[in-house]
Amino acid sequence: MAQVTLNHVTKRYEDVVAVNDMNLEIRDGEFVCLVGPSGCGKSTTMEMVAGLTKPSEGNVHIGDVDVTTLPPKDRGVAMVFQNIALFPHMDVYDNISFGLRLRKFDKEEIDRRVDRASDIVQLEGMLDRMPDEMSGGQRQRVAIARAIVREPDVFLMDEPLANLDAKLRVHMRTELQRLHKELDTTIIYVTHDQAEAMTMSDRIAVLDAGELQQIDPPLVCYNEPENLFVAGFIGSPSMNFAEGELVANGFESEHFTVEFDPSQVPGASVGDRVTLGIRPEDVFTVDRVQNLSSATASIDATTDVLEPMGDEIFVYLVLGESAERSMEGETASSNQLLMSVNPDSDIQEDQDVEVVLDRSKVHLFDTASGQALAHGIEELPGPSAGTGPDAGTSAGTGAGEGTESPVTEAESDR
Amino acid sequence: MSGETQTQTQTQTGSQSETDHDQGPLASWTQGVISNPDRRSLLYRALFYAITIFFLVTTLFPFYWLLVLALTPNSLILGGEWDLPFLRPQGFNPEAFVEVFQQIPFHLYVFNSFVLATMTTIIVIVISSLAGYVFGRLEFPGRGPLMLGILMVSYFPPAAFLIPLFEAFTGNPIVAPFIGVELFEPPRLVNTPGSMVLPFSALFLPLSIFILTTFYAQIPDGLEDAARVEGTTRLGALFRVIMPLSAPGVATAAVLTFIAVYNEYFFSSIMALGNEPQQWSPLVGGLLQYQSLYSTEFNLMAAASIVGVLPVVILVVVAQERIVSGLTAGALKE
Repeated sequence: MAQVTLNHVTKRYEDVVAVNDMNLEIRDGEFVCLVGPSGCGKSTTMEMVAGLTKPSEGNVHIGDVDVTTLPPKDRGVAMVFQNIALFPHMDVYDNISFGLRLRKFDKEEIDRRVDRASDIVQLEGMLDRMPDEMSGGQRQRVAIARAIVREPDVFLMDEPLANLDAKLRVHMRTELQRLHKELDTTIIYVTHDQAEAMTMSDRIAVLDAGELQQIDPPLVCYNEPENLFVAGFIGSPSMNFAEGELVANGFESEHFTVEFDPSQVPGASVGDRVTLGIRPEDVFTVDRVQNLSSATASIDATTDVLEPMGDEIFVYLVLGESAERSMEGETASSNQLLMSVNPDSDIQEDQDVEVVLDRSKVHLFDTASGQALAHGIEELPGPSAGTGPDAGTSAGTGAGEGTESPVTEAESDR
Repeated sequence: MSGETQTQTQTQTGSQSETDHDQGPLASWTQGVISNPDRRSLLYRALFYAITIFFLVTTLFPFYWLLVLALTPNSLILGGEWDLPFLRPQGFNPEAFVEVFQQIPFHLYVFNSFVLATMTTIIVIVISSLAGYVFGRLEFPGRGPLMLGILMVSYFPPAAFLIPLFEAFTGNPIVAPFIGVELFEPPRLVNTPGSMVLPFSALFLPLSIFILTTFYAQIPDGLEDAARVEGTTRLGALFRVIMPLSAPGVATAAVLTFIAVYNEYFFSSIMALGNEPQQWSPLVGGLLQYQSLYSTEFNLMAAASIVGVLPVVILVVVAQERIVSGLTAGALKE
């Protein structure tokens, strides 16, 4: 068991920067997911930890050892690959014991460990099968057993569930969590599936374009995204964004306004371009607003398309004049709003509705830099902002900038 | 109603046979093959057997003829009085297979060729595996030109290398051309396996490198990465994972090299200064020993040829099993 530290790690391929100045500290026994869209550098980061790729700059520590130049076999890591990568010419036993046999363990020890590992992943009775006689899920379990059996300091999992069908993926997800609980080993897990990241990890590291965007527990990433990318990437369906301007009495976009005191948004002043973000589940129709402590003024909208999911319905709303409904690129994003409603509500397509946003769940971002400005905003513009019992102190100052202050503010909102 | 339909079908078949008559036999047969799947498969099977039998006859008849010659006493061969049916042994003289070893130490010649072929094959497979790994799996500048350069070695006729090699292997100092500076003095290698294995290895390497490059390039990167994380070096991954998975390719390269060297005569007849087994004269040299100034013992030559072919036949059968099992194991799936 060991912590993994990346110090200013950069990886360049000729003129492409795959990973740019990555600083990452993964604690002992922690389950960290690296998530991001394809090509964001998450697999490269993983390969640098494994030793399959050497960083162009910076260094990698596992435990107290600088492993930057060590070959993979001397790093005490075990890896589960996306394409499973079982050795096709060996049976299950030989596959699992491959690493142990290379390290010249004696036969009894190998047998004992293989038995235990195959027990953990429920592969008893299959040890003499060949990989091509097994199903995808069984092969994946062999690959995991091959990693467990070495009792490594760090597990690296590179999209291990990507090639499995949906049902098996959910099943393996719980098995991996159980495994983590059982082994209590540091696990670094690469995935592009944010649902996997949300459900399994202690902390999520969100990567984009080779840079670390945020590393925090899943719910912090969800509730207090540090920038537009994290806000849009975490959560499915993704957050609604509306570009607009910070004005004297709040936020104003093309199709709606939200009133608040702009001075409670630190690091931004009236006239700045800001982007408002709101998750679909924080948009409500007016008739259901009673269980909401602080709602914004109502926004006129027309329902467009309904997507019943069973447990909820996603409603695409068109803001403003219902006539200018358009699905084209830019306009679609600014005048469209996605709302999730209870499945038993009797909402119809092409219906005029009034919706409100949950103030405490409104996110404000600097449009230019993408950095988060505030998570949750206070009730009313002007002097009434100060009337809040505890909010005024932290919000009114508008001092602290960047990342720290929005977090405290959002916390004070709850 | 039913009568009506019957007459209808009758007229239909009638008109069909009429058109058959119009088309002539070849056209109607072609039409039948095209329209009738049974006839088509019959045609395919007939073609398959015809071609197979043709190849079997052309490849196996020489062996049969060797056997006929080996069993026929030499006096009858020289007499040339073959009774019909022509293609059977005249008399029965299996002692020729014993006499082969009594007249000259033919087993030593076989041994020489076998050792030379084995040594060359081992050297070629080891070196071409390393080269194939590099060319097939690593990216580096100049890979294409370098590969081309290696392949160019095989464009030259082997005779082009003979004179300088012979001079070097007889122990003459190597002198840099034009400037006349003596570089080094090689050991005298003629009459030793070294003088043959070295040029053979160089000559047969390009083909093996080419074969193994294509095979090694097909192994998924993930398998090599997995092996390396599990605890091998790159070299260990090559020998433990990549090579076993490329068994068909390795077997192909090995068999081709082995057979080529086993049958080699040109270089070895010159590098072995005399046609003696102690001087590492090869199998073919041994065969020619049955030919003297005054007589040629065709029956012994034929018997010796059969004896000499046996090791290669065994090798190919064994290797083929390996090739086939390698292919059917679906080793390259994934």
